[in-house]
Amino acid sequence: MILVIAEQRDGRLNRASWEVIAAAQTLAKGSPVKVGIAGSSVAALASELATADVAEVLVAEHPALASYTPDGYAMAIRALVDAASPTYVLMPHTYQTRDCAPAIAARMRKALITDATGISGAGADVTFTRPMFQGKLAAQVKPLGEPPFFVTFQIGAFRADAAQKGGSAPVTPVAVQIDASAIRQKPEAPFQEAKQAVDLGQAERIVAVGRGIKSQENIAVAEKLAKAMGAELAASRPICDNGWLPMERQIGSSGQTVAPKLYVALGISGAIQHLVGMKGARTIVAINKDADAPIFEVADYGIVGDLFEVVPALIAELEKT
Amino acid sequence: MTRETLDVDILIVGGGPAGMSAALRLAQLQKQQGGEPLSIAVLEKSREPAAHAMSGAVLDPSTLRDLIPDFQQKGAPLAVPVLADHVYFLTQGGRVAFPIIPPPLSNHGNFIISLNVFTRWLAQQVESEGIDVFTGFSGQDILMDGSRVIGVRTGDRGIGRHGEQKPAFEPGVDVMAKVTIFCDGVRGNLTKELERRLQLGAGRQPEQFAIGLKELWEVPSGRLPAGTVMHTMGYPLRLEEFGGGFVYAMGDGQLSVGFVAGLDYKDPLFDPHMAFNRFKQHPFIASLLDGGTMVRYGAKALPEGGWNTIPRPYMDGGLLAGDAGSFLNSMRLKGIHLAMRTGMLAAESAFEAVRENDTSASSLERYQRKIDASPVRAELYPVRHVHQAFGHGLLAGLAFSGVSLVTRGWSPIAFHGDAGHERMRRLNASAPPRDLRPSNEIPIDRRLTFDKVTNVHYSGTAHDEDQPAHLLVHTEVCSSICGPEYGHPCTRFCPANVYEIVREADGAPRLQINASNCVHCKTCDIMDPYQVITWVPPEGGGGPQYNGM
Repeated sequence: MILVIAEQRDGRLNRASWEVIAAAQTLAKGSPVKVGIAGSSVAALASELATADVAEVLVAEHPALASYTPDGYAMAIRALVDAASPTYVLMPHTYQTRDCAPAIAARMRKALITDATGISGAGADVTFTRPMFQGKLAAQVKPLGEPPFFVTFQIGAFRADAAQKGGSAPVTPVAVQIDASAIRQKPEAPFQEAKQAVDLGQAERIVAVGRGIKSQENIAVAEKLAKAMGAELAASRPICDNGWLPMERQIGSSGQTVAPKLYVALGISGAIQHLVGMKGARTIVAINKDADAPIFEVADYGIVGDLFEVVPALIAELEKT
Repeated sequence: MTRETLDVDILIVGGGPAGMSAALRLAQLQKQQGGEPLSIAVLEKSREPAAHAMSGAVLDPSTLRDLIPDFQQKGAPLAVPVLADHVYFLTQGGRVAFPIIPPPLSNHGNFIISLNVFTRWLAQQVESEGIDVFTGFSGQDILMDGSRVIGVRTGDRGIGRHGEQKPAFEPGVDVMAKVTIFCDGVRGNLTKELERRLQLGAGRQPEQFAIGLKELWEVPSGRLPAGTVMHTMGYPLRLEEFGGGFVYAMGDGQLSVGFVAGLDYKDPLFDPHMAFNRFKQHPFIASLLDGGTMVRYGAKALPEGGWNTIPRPYMDGGLLAGDAGSFLNSMRLKGIHLAMRTGMLAAESAFEAVRENDTSASSLERYQRKIDASPVRAELYPVRHVHQAFGHGLLAGLAFSGVSLVTRGWSPIAFHGDAGHERMRRLNASAPPRDLRPSNEIPIDRRLTFDKVTNVHYSGTAHDEDQPAHLLVHTEVCSSICGPEYGHPCTRFCPANVYEIVREADGAPRLQINASNCVHCKTCDIMDPYQVITWVPPEGGGGPQYNGM
């Protein structure tokens, strides 16, 4: 049996939870998958998760779980694991997981494999792939000892939309005793460095602009395309350096790493620093005047042409439907 | 603002081969001579020891043997002994092998190493002696009392892009020392400031520099036997340009491929990085790399001027060692052993002076005497004119190198070098070039040849983006004077695309500084013709990640 720990914050499910459900379904090969979620009032999220093709959704609710604390969530997740007694506990490799998964695994004296990007083999021969040395090597690792084995998955390693739906799994509450005095952390108001921070990592579609856009006024062209597509607007480094778009919309090695379903690159040459931030996108569409631009080496669809001709045509076509 | 203060007896700024050798030598002296233990600290701006260390490199192990006689047992990572030397003169499509290896280029008994791996090992030796190596701390300012160096202030952390204090702001620490040994490398920011304040270069010739660019390649086996050392002259440089290429076979199919170009070239449109690309595209070099993968990139300036350009290396409370003091033999293309040797001698001088309770310049002058009695002078003095002779072109340089081998350095002509940046020619004002593309530009194929931005990625360079630019430029010179006269040469001599001219809406050029690309090579500080670029350390921990370089 495999237990997926879904993650939520302020009543919103982290999209990466679906990625891990997809990973669990890959790993399960037929054996049951359950999903656990912890929080203070997460009934709505539990029923959302119950639409997945899983055997059961376990819910650990407690008022002390209103905000994330490593102690509180470690106790709650421990309760979920004890209730399900799974072979594998799978979690998304988020900041929260990085914070509490090592504590849970250490307390239970179980193996923890972090930041996994793939699963191979089956049964007793399952191995997980994880990057080492800043991604220069991909290691094949296998948990040893007694189950449960904890595995966290890199964001984007599996596709959220690959998670199989179609169930209406029973939702079962799991009793969790949390002594508020045992929580040694007191959360302050969430720290936000930038106002209106956008989490491009959660976006399903992204329109990104590069130097080819030429001037700040022309950003409106891309904005219009993004609106017509229901996409987030993002940019390569020079655009943000010029202050044409805020820094938090920068994609690449010094910005965000994204893995949307659709990535439209407008006038982006495809410097490697940009590619490392978006090569996980499922479908990449590139529009660029320069047929030799490296972006075309990673693009699924390429249009060699003037974006100021191509983009209005795309918008017109999108607005027809 | 309150700053923390740390008092030590001897402070070493810079954890390269010079600084680490100095630290290790101090630990040895302490052990041998006993007495009140001295407190010693090493500051290093990179996040981990040796992360900013890169070189060719072929190591002359003579100093290592003196510093750590049992280096073999201690597992010194000397990748492979040199087994074969080759020197070629390249023409555009061909090559001519030198019939004999010029003696200075003979590497019998030397080792091909990765300076990064070697320095990391030295750092382990230092740390196992209980010496504190503070990584992630840059030396920002010199603390002085009159003409006396009394310590170094480390850089502040947590300053935002516009100079504002971020929540994690932490002021730098004042490290006070009886003697500070400056090992801040080629064109070290502190040494440069010391030279200015104390006129350490008075009576010396101007320092001269070159830029070295290097890539690490993994190639199919059987291309070159491990231990092969190859140097080239000629193509792609013109006779007026100093420099050449190298290929070192490190074993396991790893090739260290690099190119050195003198930072005294005349053509303002010359681009050293493009020259490196051209070198790799030469049929002979391409045949070695074809089908391989470039795995790492780096660039670093090197001091080439030699004996007559070494600044006064001692002052009240301070000493200079290694590349910071231009201790490099450009004729042999070697400096690591001299950095280590001067580090050792500086340590001995500092140790004696502190014990005698007199760390004034007249007491520390013993450092100069130790240098004069050491292999440093024996090696550098006879070739003191050679690099300057190359200032008259490749043929003059080669001819003179030969003469000086025979005469042991005596010369009928007292060559005098110029500061390299002064040699740059102005663009032809009556017929200005149509665009400012490099004069040696070739198309980039992204297999053998790379653009600068791609290369930067392979240097592992990272800086916190939210900090002030660490390249201080008087930008008013850029568009009004330097652009028309030299065509913004910073955009070409920088090997990391830090400098970019962007056009404003009205077509006016504006210098954009991509400071986070900086690989800390110092070329801009050296080569800009108006000397308006000052390299200061970015927040500690930032910079390249030269694993294996």
